[in-house]
Amino acid sequence: MRSSLELKERRTWRWLLCLAGGSVAAAAEPTFYAARVAPVLDRHCVVCHGPEKKKAGLRLDSFDHLMAGAESGSIVKPGDVKGSELHRRITLPATDEEVMPSDGKPSLSADEIKIIALWIEAGASPTKSLADFPTAPALRPARVAPVPLAPSWREKAAEIAALEKKFGVKLVPRSQVPTDGLVLRSASAPQRCNDQVLAGLAPVARFIVDAELARTPVTDAGLKALGSWENLRAIDLTRTKVTSAGLAALSGLKHLEVINLTDTAVDDAGVTTLRALPGLKRAWLFGSKATVTQYPVATAP
Amino acid sequence: MNPLPPDWQQTFERYNDAITRRQFFRQSGTGLGAAALAALLGNRALGADAAAGAPAPWKIAPKAKRAIYISLIGAPSQLELFDYKPHLQTRFKEDLKDWLAGQGERLTGMTSRQAAFPLAPSIFKFAQHGQSGAWISELLPWTAKMADDICIIRSMKTDAINHEPANQLVYTGSMQNGKASIGSWLSYGLGTLNQDLPAFVVLHAKHSSPFSNVQAISSRLWGAGFLPGKHAGVSFRPQGDPVLYLNDAPGVPRELRRRMLDGLDELNRRSYAAIGDPEIQTRTQQYEMAFRMQASIPELADLSKEPESTYALYGDEARNRGTFASSALMARRLVERGVRFVQIFHRGWDQHGTLPRDIASQCKDVDQACYGLVQDLKQRGLLDDTLVIWGGEFGRTVYCQGTLTETNYGRDHHPRCFSIWMAGGGIKGGVVHGETDEMSYNIVKDPVHIRDLHATILHQMGIDHDRMSFKFQGLDQRLTGVLPAKVVKGILA
Repeated sequence: MRSSLELKERRTWRWLLCLAGGSVAAAAEPTFYAARVAPVLDRHCVVCHGPEKKKAGLRLDSFDHLMAGAESGSIVKPGDVKGSELHRRITLPATDEEVMPSDGKPSLSADEIKIIALWIEAGASPTKSLADFPTAPALRPARVAPVPLAPSWREKAAEIAALEKKFGVKLVPRSQVPTDGLVLRSASAPQRCNDQVLAGLAPVARFIVDAELARTPVTDAGLKALGSWENLRAIDLTRTKVTSAGLAALSGLKHLEVINLTDTAVDDAGVTTLRALPGLKRAWLFGSKATVTQYPVATAP
Repeated sequence: MNPLPPDWQQTFERYNDAITRRQFFRQSGTGLGAAALAALLGNRALGADAAAGAPAPWKIAPKAKRAIYISLIGAPSQLELFDYKPHLQTRFKEDLKDWLAGQGERLTGMTSRQAAFPLAPSIFKFAQHGQSGAWISELLPWTAKMADDICIIRSMKTDAINHEPANQLVYTGSMQNGKASIGSWLSYGLGTLNQDLPAFVVLHAKHSSPFSNVQAISSRLWGAGFLPGKHAGVSFRPQGDPVLYLNDAPGVPRELRRRMLDGLDELNRRSYAAIGDPEIQTRTQQYEMAFRMQASIPELADLSKEPESTYALYGDEARNRGTFASSALMARRLVERGVRFVQIFHRGWDQHGTLPRDIASQCKDVDQACYGLVQDLKQRGLLDDTLVIWGGEFGRTVYCQGTLTETNYGRDHHPRCFSIWMAGGGIKGGVVHGETDEMSYNIVKDPVHIRDLHATILHQMGIDHDRMSFKFQGLDQRLTGVLPAKVVKGILA
């Protein structure tokens, strides 16, 4: 994890330099290497050929390192695209043993390969400016890193598993990304997921972003526990015994976006309470005692 | 793609050796090789939910937690429902023989020898609905009311021209037999939400018209194929008890049944350790599922607590078991309780002749209940994370099969374009995606292959379709196969 963070910092730093260069003095116009070549290498290569791993003795995190080459020799021959090992490796068929990036990692896009090729062809210069490459394709912006919904649960996997077993509930990762949070899943045995269980989940509550509590015996007392689950985005309380009074305990959940109160005794007082939640996008109130079936009320088409 | 381990050949050899030795030692009950087998099969045989805490490598953040696929078997005519072609009205009976010759399309044996191919404009009226202004036929007045909830895709296309291969392509990703169905892939890839119910339930709805041309369908469309059998769809009976023999036999109390199953489970565990046939696990899991369903099904099937408003929404037909409307209501009750994937099959959409009469009765079977289902999911806050898909296996021809009159005609199979709709589960409502040419024959904008539909369904459910695979017969099998498939980004909310 640390390496990607450092990577990001480095990228940001370079980007800031470019920005500064652009605005302070025209003389510091970004070089093609910094603006196009380095970001491609950063995106695809530096994770294995950088300060941490240096596979094959090769680092691609700076111009000097790139030109220094690998244990086996230089990988860029200025002016000779076909003769440059760097170009050869990134253009091999995906099934070739020598293809880079290796191990099934995504290959470079046609545009990215073209950027490398143009740069080598023009002499692999560290100083030529962006303007010297009018035909070079623009770089697609790097995919924006997903906003973390919760801290990574990975280190606490054992504790999470133990609590799942103890309480008979499931804490399911939403995705491969450990900062996408966990879903508290109770549908297999809703009757087991009561107020005490919610209180007992406190040690891992910060990882839970979605609490599926429909048809559980949860009451207002359980909502007190939920009130401290700081990263909750969604709570399903369908057909539970919660009331408007209990909803006040949720007032600190600034990320809460969706709450389902279908078939509960919640009334308009509860809707007023919910209205104060800063992040709330939708409350579902069908079958409740409230005078609206959802909040905010959908605009009629 | 998971590369094979470097010692894969030895692994297979060891496996083969182990099999024979296992057979030999079976009687002495050494159970040797269980660990080796577990290592060999890994979590493949056990499914994704076995490895709790470690999300499967294909898992991406989901938009939908569950899905309902309304499968209209026989191929509803796009020309009568969603693909409005008003200018064809003036070309009634125009012979398309020469034009068709230029299309290079193989025609089915049912019409290829027709002397003429008279153009048959739809006799049904269309109007624009909702803020989106989507054109929807008078045959679907209730669907029209929810035009802004649904996304109509008019540019679906398939590779198959006959029902069985086409159905297999839609529901298993391949025209060949033996592949795993969509629901079984979802069960394998995501695990179950509620252990007391199957992850994948299949409902068979009656069609009301006795005249409908009805295709037989089989469990191939909801089977597990090469996936472990526990992922197969479980068919609920349309009449009587949804699942048979759930009541304990007289004199067999539940505790005794539990003890019997525990004993049986132990025996099965031993033979699994000895033989390693995953079907043993499937069988054990079926016994266990049946035991748990004894508790879960009666509550599920008890509709007595459904208020009158439910029947006002789905239509009175929902009171009659086995109708499409009652299946739609059951689908809502199933997803509410944590069934991952519900598939409703409604047959009888194959209108080669007397299309106007038959499609009208087919539409009447499903129209209000589809509206009811979507609205019901919506009011309960379930639509946002429940994906609903409505569609058949291919489209129908612009030319008439059989005799064309002012009021009657038929249409043959047409694979190059057809219409479906989707709703909820992170799909944009009020969207019409894709366009066909003036004849509703070829797609002119935004084609969506079946593979793209699959990729999109998986994507919404939280699966990277490229990464979810299962090794079978030396191949990394995927729902989307090996040809390129893309998520239809344009319809995502």
